[in-house]
Amino acid sequence: MEAIVIIFISGLISLFLGIMKKPAFVLFVSTSGLIIGALAQNYEWYFLNEKYHILDFNDTNIHFLNLAVAISATIILGGYRYFLEESSTIGDFSALILFSLCGGLCLIGFRDLFMFFLGVEILSIPLYVLAGSKKKSASSSEAALKYFYLGSFATALLLFGIALVYGTIGTFNVERIGFISVLFSDQLPSMFFVGVLFILAAMLFKVGAFPFHFWVADVYQGSPALFMTYMSSVVKLVGVYAFYRLFGMMFPGVEVFWSTLIVLAICISMFIGNLSALNQDTFKRLMAYSSITNGAYALMAVLTFNSGSEALLVYMIGYGFSVVALMTINSIANNEEDKLAALTGIGYKNPFIGIVGIVALLSVAGIPPMTGFFGKAMVFYQAFDQYMWLVLFAIINSAIGVYIYLKITMTLLKKEDNAQVVVLNLGQKLVLSISLLALLFGWTIIYV
Amino acid sequence: MAISCIHLMEYVPGSFVEIYKCTSNIPFGLTFTLHYEGVSLLMVLLTAFSFPLIFLSNYNRELSQSNLFHALAFFMQTGLFGVFLAGDGVLFYIFWEFTLIPIFLILYWFGHGNYTTLVKFFIYTMLGSLAMLLSLIWLKQHAHSFAYADLIAARLTEKEGFWIMAGFMLAFAIKIPVFPFHTWQPNTYSTAPMAGTMLLSALMLKMALFGMIKWMIPLAPEGLECMRWIVIVLGIIGIIYGGIIAIKQTDIKKIFAYASISHLGLIAAGIMIYSENALTASMIQIINHSILSIGLFLVAEVLMSRTGTNDIRQMGGIAERAPKFAFWFMIITFASVSIPFSAGFIGEFLLLREISAFQFTFGILGASTLVFGAIYMLRAYQLSMSGYREDLSFTDLSWNEWLVFFVLGLLALIFGIAPYLIGDLVKESTVIFTQIAIK
Repeated sequence: MEAIVIIFISGLISLFLGIMKKPAFVLFVSTSGLIIGALAQNYEWYFLNEKYHILDFNDTNIHFLNLAVAISATIILGGYRYFLEESSTIGDFSALILFSLCGGLCLIGFRDLFMFFLGVEILSIPLYVLAGSKKKSASSSEAALKYFYLGSFATALLLFGIALVYGTIGTFNVERIGFISVLFSDQLPSMFFVGVLFILAAMLFKVGAFPFHFWVADVYQGSPALFMTYMSSVVKLVGVYAFYRLFGMMFPGVEVFWSTLIVLAICISMFIGNLSALNQDTFKRLMAYSSITNGAYALMAVLTFNSGSEALLVYMIGYGFSVVALMTINSIANNEEDKLAALTGIGYKNPFIGIVGIVALLSVAGIPPMTGFFGKAMVFYQAFDQYMWLVLFAIINSAIGVYIYLKITMTLLKKEDNAQVVVLNLGQKLVLSISLLALLFGWTIIYV
Repeated sequence: MAISCIHLMEYVPGSFVEIYKCTSNIPFGLTFTLHYEGVSLLMVLLTAFSFPLIFLSNYNRELSQSNLFHALAFFMQTGLFGVFLAGDGVLFYIFWEFTLIPIFLILYWFGHGNYTTLVKFFIYTMLGSLAMLLSLIWLKQHAHSFAYADLIAARLTEKEGFWIMAGFMLAFAIKIPVFPFHTWQPNTYSTAPMAGTMLLSALMLKMALFGMIKWMIPLAPEGLECMRWIVIVLGIIGIIYGGIIAIKQTDIKKIFAYASISHLGLIAAGIMIYSENALTASMIQIINHSILSIGLFLVAEVLMSRTGTNDIRQMGGIAERAPKFAFWFMIITFASVSIPFSAGFIGEFLLLREISAFQFTFGILGASTLVFGAIYMLRAYQLSMSGYREDLSFTDLSWNEWLVFFVLGLLALIFGIAPYLIGDLVKESTVIFTQIAIK
């Protein structure tokens, strides 16, 4: 609760500070707001352990909150240069990210369908704006429009689904819905199942999984790199975790009904993401397809809703920070046309970038000893009991993924004598170091 | 730089006494245990001694100036030690994969290979490893944790055992490489820098053989009966196939690469017999093959760097100009065709005896390795060394190359005369392993 309030207030402050056009100032306020908010929330969890009626930031949720806040803070730090270029609107951008994160935090901590819906909306609406924030670029406007239309359609579905579930059970409280639906699992009306189906569809849209994945590539490619990073890391994290909690808490009684659908969605999204990424030569589009695949792996945690949160957390540390590191490297390379070839040799000429790049790519490809491997292995391990064939397909896809990331690694590390030598600013150095640490040692969180 | 590395290396053999074990607070059944028994110890020693030799043979080459190369080589060594010492399934897997990254970078930065060769190598090995991961996860369903003892204690049905073993075997077969999975190897060898080839063939492939002995069969002995036939047949095919192709090759590195397929096929087949004698013989042969591959690839490098070609038909007359080199090449060749008093003789003889005892036909077919080996090695020697050429300029061995050959020749001789040095070291553990397999 504190976290949401503090982050919201710091968002407001940075909105007003934007008038002064001092990027460093705004940056300071928003990051410190994020850190203070997370600290306050941790304090509350550790010492007071309070549970609100509709929000709950205890135990597992607090870890996800910390992760979301940490990734957002890194993204904002890394965006310093972008903010410098767009100094007239800096306040708006950082404020919108913070507002959107508030929605994300609601999604992490909800105990009530009302809060859940509110969270989805608060998360999405700033994103529509951010996606279109490069006003002069046609693709950015296209991204915003596409995202807005499709997103609002998904929201409508979600709302309808919630209404149907409410109509059957008669309460918004997630745990109570779960309780009742388990108790009367054999006498639920078909209305309830239609509701579950609608909610499922909306959630699949939000995490960008088959058959609602078509927006992902265009929207990610069109949006400015900074916000694309935010979308594919924090929004994905929050979306999958909300998915996980929603279905784990609310519909365990009718698991047979939705698990088959999710298995199908996962299976096909993995292949779609990987096979589409195979021959991409634009970096952002490649990352977009890779995010479809990785979202699908993460969704395997939803299937194991009893015990999958730890695996999901580790997985998301790995994936989130990989995306942050890779997108930062991409923006460092000053990649305006967004071609993969522009990265050639950067990693070889600048050893630090090379190290971070290779760690991030190996992590996202799932090669030990990076965090990404542990996340993937844990997610697969959890799912293996019940869904052996799914895991088999996922392993095949990992192998395809290795090829894709290997290609980028080889481009990045090519011995190219006339590759540019870049000077990193403080923010970028900080971002890369944080990501490196998280990717190398993030998995130790399972020992906490 | 290189010399300091070597000094650093020489202290490493002392460090294996450390065994670390962390059993507290184990989520997901992951433990951190390092332990060794005879086989692991031998492999660790092999690793520790091979690295100085590799650095030494690398000493006056371009690579020895590169900090990057040595850093990667040490990463590699870390990974190898980890593989040989790991006492936990996931730890084994982690180190196993970890070795892949440095070798990939060495090949990428210092090799002159093209993109496709490398990607093929990486994807191939990665695919195998993922199958191994799947097997480990499956095995864990029947065990308390990933610790070695727990995994051994797991009881499986024959069918499960077979599939789990198949997953492991895929990983190992690709790395060794056993016959149908070998296609990455010759190209990778011939495009890699010398040190990279040595690392690959002297140490990385041994990881897979070690994995078969220590991990695959004790973990899923239930599947041994079915798997044995498949692997032995593939191994025998590999022996003949590798031998025949090596006879026809003209690229010196490719000859040795196919020779390696041929030799390793025999070892893989021998391991699958899984009796005490067969394991001991395999270990002798593993050590022998490491010695040989360092020697042979140094020979190849000497020939290639001084003649500027890798086609043996264009060489010739070298023995006249470089008697020292000719002598040591001869020694290595003899060791490779396993004449008596070389380590290869003992190893191959014992292996063939065990295979014949298992199935006489296989023994006969496997014995063809001796014939083929003699043909391709002597052909390589004859075409490159003998004859007389007026216009040839060929400098003889430098001191470091001579030293490497000397050490290798000495080792081959020592292990040929006294194979019990290896046998005694691994005896205890082969007894344990075979008992586990019978359970």
